[in-house]
Amino acid sequence: MNRAIYLDHNASTPVHPEVVAAMLPYFGERFGNPSSVHAFGREAREGLETAREQIAHFLRVGKEEIVFTSGGTESDNMAIKGVAMARGRGHLITSKIEHHAVLRAVQNLETQGFDATYLDVDSFGMVDPDALRRAVRPDTILISIMHANSEIGTVQNARALGAIAREHNIPFHMDAVQTFGKVPIDLDAFNIDMLSFSGHKIYGPKGVAGLYIRKGTKMVSVQHGGEHERRRRAGTENVPGIVGFAKAVEIRGRDMVEEGQHLTALRNRLWEGLSRRVPEVRLNGHPTERVPGTCNVCFRHVESESIVLGLDLKGIGVSAGSACTSGNVEPSYVLVAMGVPVDWAMGAVRHSLGRSTTAEDIDYVIESTEPLVAKLRAAMPARRSA
Amino acid sequence: MKYSPTLIDHFRNPRNAGIMRDPDGVGEGEYKDCMDLVRFHLRVREGLVVEARFQAYGCGPTIAAASAATEVATGRRVAELLDLPAARVEAAVGGLPEARRHAAEVAVLGLRAAARDALDRVETRSERHV
Repeated sequence: MNRAIYLDHNASTPVHPEVVAAMLPYFGERFGNPSSVHAFGREAREGLETAREQIAHFLRVGKEEIVFTSGGTESDNMAIKGVAMARGRGHLITSKIEHHAVLRAVQNLETQGFDATYLDVDSFGMVDPDALRRAVRPDTILISIMHANSEIGTVQNARALGAIAREHNIPFHMDAVQTFGKVPIDLDAFNIDMLSFSGHKIYGPKGVAGLYIRKGTKMVSVQHGGEHERRRRAGTENVPGIVGFAKAVEIRGRDMVEEGQHLTALRNRLWEGLSRRVPEVRLNGHPTERVPGTCNVCFRHVESESIVLGLDLKGIGVSAGSACTSGNVEPSYVLVAMGVPVDWAMGAVRHSLGRSTTAEDIDYVIESTEPLVAKLRAAMPARRSA
Repeated sequence: MKYSPTLIDHFRNPRNAGIMRDPDGVGEGEYKDCMDLVRFHLRVREGLVVEARFQAYGCGPTIAAASAATEVATGRRVAELLDLPAARVEAAVGGLPEARRHAAEVAVLGLRAAARDALDRVETRSERHV
């Protein structure tokens, strides 16, 4: 039986056929540099600006507030360093479960004299708005908190966090790479000043992302060169990628709500099946405030990577919560921040569902996981709990 | 991460997994950086390993290496296991990617410890008979 079930959509998604079709002309006859003044360039420029309008329309913002980048990591760095460098010094607030693009950007700023506070999260991975309020200082220059974490999918109370930022007149950056196009984002209601979002998590191409920058936000460019993107991000725009990105966003506008309901039902089916059939399993993340397709579970006393390999051999692609790289393995820092005990955290597996996932796929995953975990546990030493 | 067909086979169908009643030697290998733990039980007759069983906590390659190590150990003299090179176990799983070399190392550490335990028990018994 040659099955191929991809449950790693939080890592990347297959490009939608309509997106591929939209991109193709920009690899061929519309290949021009959008900065060129001739007809070839103007044609590419038209594709680029139409894409910008489409994405701005989806976010209900002005097109001049959208900057295209090469990925979520660049968007996060641009937002955080751009604001920090404009101020020169000060204090930043973020959380302990941010993506490394945010954590390491903030850590880098600490080496340059900035101060930072990393907020704790509760056992569901939620940032407490009161903790954010307490962390605010007179010299706080930026609050950067993700909308949802890629591992666990917990969706933060962006409205409450944004209100605190606005109350203190502090720019609020939100890394929405895992929620953009999956759950509604109201930039005004959430008081978001900068929003990172990416293409390849929503059936768009890799290597293209965006940063929304609210008009009036004080920041400097962190990448220097030509006068692209209204002098905010130097470098020739990835026109085919951006056109594809806009098409993917258009499709999200069409499919987001219905697909969200479908994926929520499937992820619940997965958790119910696993918790019914596999002993000593726990769900990580918020039970309801969660990205529709994300189901992260811990199998106690089993090592994540052996489950990932075992499922891979059954044609199922999932992701390990702890990865053994260069002979060193650490439990997920996200799960550790949530207080998940190590003997559980080492056995974390993330299933992230997508538009092609079916109920039959989910049942097959449950049926494959039960004997695999039993077999791994049978070969396990009696002690391995710390 | 690309694994050999032999490694995959050992992971899918582990040989000699589980514990042993009244073993002649028991030993563990641990790789703290990776939190891997492998335990071997040996049955020894006249200085030869006649049966080896393993238990393992770790990634797929570690489970496969422990499985292969039981086959490497069986039929060998216990004393030989004391300086069994990790390369021997690595070869028995058809090679390991650089980042997973520790799988063979932790298996060999466990086998050596089990062999040492078996030899110590023999010495203790001999002393008792003196």
